[in-house]
Amino acid sequence: MNMTEPMFLALTALVDEPRHGYGIVQEVDRLSAGRVQLKIGTLYGVLDRLSAAGLVALDREEAQQGRLRRYYRLTDEGAAALRDEAARMAATAETATARLRARTAGGAA
Amino acid sequence: MSAPAAGAGSRLSPATAGEEGRTSLRVSGAGSRVSLLERRYRAVLRLLPASYRAEREEEMVDAFMEMSGDVSDELNPRPAWGEIASVLALAVRLRFGGTGADPRLFAWGESVRLLALLGLAFHAMGGVYTGVELLRTLVFQVQPGLAGAPGSFERLLAVAVSLAYLCSTVAFLAIMRGHVRTAKITAVVGAAPALAYTLIPMILAGPVMDRPLSEPATLVFTAVPVIALLLGFHGDAAPRRRSWALALSPLAAGLAVLGCTWLLVALRLPDADWLYLWLDLGTAIPVWAAGAVAVLTRRSAPPQALAMSAAGLLLLLMRLTLLGNLPDGPAWLTVCAQCALLWSLSVALAWVGARGLPARRPAFQP
Repeated sequence: MNMTEPMFLALTALVDEPRHGYGIVQEVDRLSAGRVQLKIGTLYGVLDRLSAAGLVALDREEAQQGRLRRYYRLTDEGAAALRDEAARMAATAETATARLRARTAGGAA
Repeated sequence: MSAPAAGAGSRLSPATAGEEGRTSLRVSGAGSRVSLLERRYRAVLRLLPASYRAEREEEMVDAFMEMSGDVSDELNPRPAWGEIASVLALAVRLRFGGTGADPRLFAWGESVRLLALLGLAFHAMGGVYTGVELLRTLVFQVQPGLAGAPGSFERLLAVAVSLAYLCSTVAFLAIMRGHVRTAKITAVVGAAPALAYTLIPMILAGPVMDRPLSEPATLVFTAVPVIALLLGFHGDAAPRRRSWALALSPLAAGLAVLGCTWLLVALRLPDADWLYLWLDLGTAIPVWAAGAVAVLTRRSAPPQALAMSAAGLLLLLMRLTLLGNLPDGPAWLTVCAQCALLWSLSVALAWVGARGLPARRPAFQP
C-alpha cells in the first residue's frame, strides 16, 4: 500500500494511545506543527483505508452527548508498517543530509 | 484533550438564511435540540452512500461538532467549503468503488471507468484523424482553407486545436497503460476545444433553447467520458495496465476511417451521402453494436453492460440531432436505422446490467 502523509501521520497519532476522530485530527495537527489539518471527510477516508489494510482497528465505542464516538488503536501490523515507512523516510533524509554536507564541504574547499 | 477550536469546521455568515430543507432532527443528549450547524452537516453527509452513513454518520458528526465547538444558530453557521469538499471526495471514492469496496458500489465504479475508456477511445480516434488531416494540409496544402494562410492567426489556432485534440489520443494511451494523472490532464486538454466551441456560443447567444441541439449534444458527448475518467479513476481504483495492441487500436481505427473517407471522396459516387454517415461517428455505431451483441450473448459482467449502454446512449444523442437537418431519403433512413439500433441495444444492455448488479448491502450491520 502506498502510504500517504495523512496516513503516516494518522498512524503516528495512534502510537501512544487509542484516539477518536477529532482526537486524531488534533494529534495530526500537533505532529505536523499545523501543516496538515485533516478535514473530517479526509480523516474517515484515511481510516477506511487503514482499517481495510488491517493497520488500525476499533478499540472501543462510547456515547458522547447522544452521539457515537469510536476510538481506534494501532494494530501490530500497523506498527510494523509505520516502522518500515519511518525507516524508509529516515534513510531518504539521511541521504539528502549527506549530500548537502558534501556540497557544503565542496564549497568550502 | 484540549478545548475544541471553535468554528474550525464552520463558516459563519449573517443570519439571512430561511428555513432549512427537510432534515431529520435527532435528539442528542437529554432533550437538547439539534443545532443548525449539525443539521447542515448531516445534510452534507447525505452525499455519502446510505450503507456508509449507517456505519459512520454519527461518529463523523461527533468529530465535526467537536471540532466546530458551540456555535449559535443566530450566527447562521455552515460547514466550511473545505469540509464539504472532503465529504464530496469521500462520496466519489465510495460511490464509484475501487478495490475492496462493497460489490455493488464496485460494480458502479467499474461501469464509470469502462465508460471513460469507451468514450476516450472514440475521442482518441478523432484526435488521430484531426492531426493527420492538419499535417496533410500543412505539408501538402491539400485544403488550404482548413488551416488558414501561413503565419496567420487562423493557422496558429488550427494547429493549437489539432494538438489539443491529439491530447485525447495521449489520454487514452496513458489510461490504458496505467498512467492516471497524465490521462486526466491530457483528457481535459483534449476536451477543451470542443467544450469551448460549444459552450462559448451557448453562453453568448443567450437561452440554450435557441441554439442548435447539436451544441448541447456535443457538450455532453465530449464532457461525459472526461468526467467519468476524473471521477472513476480515484485513489482507491488501481489502474490496470492493458496491452499495447488494445491501447493502439483506436489509432488504427482512426487511420482506417481516414482512409475510407479519402477513398469515398476519390470515388465521387453519385447519391452517396448516406455512405458518409457510416464514417467518423458512424463507424463507431456498428463497432459498438457488435460489442453490445457480444456483451448480451456472453452474459458479461454488469459493469460492461452498463458502460456499453451509457456509451450507446451518448452515440444516440449525437445521432438524434441529425434527424431534423436531413431531407427525406437514404441519408435520413440511415440515421433512423442507426438510432433504432442504438436505442434498442442500449435499453437491452441497461436492463441486463441493472438486473445483474450485486444486491444492496443492508443499511445497518449490527
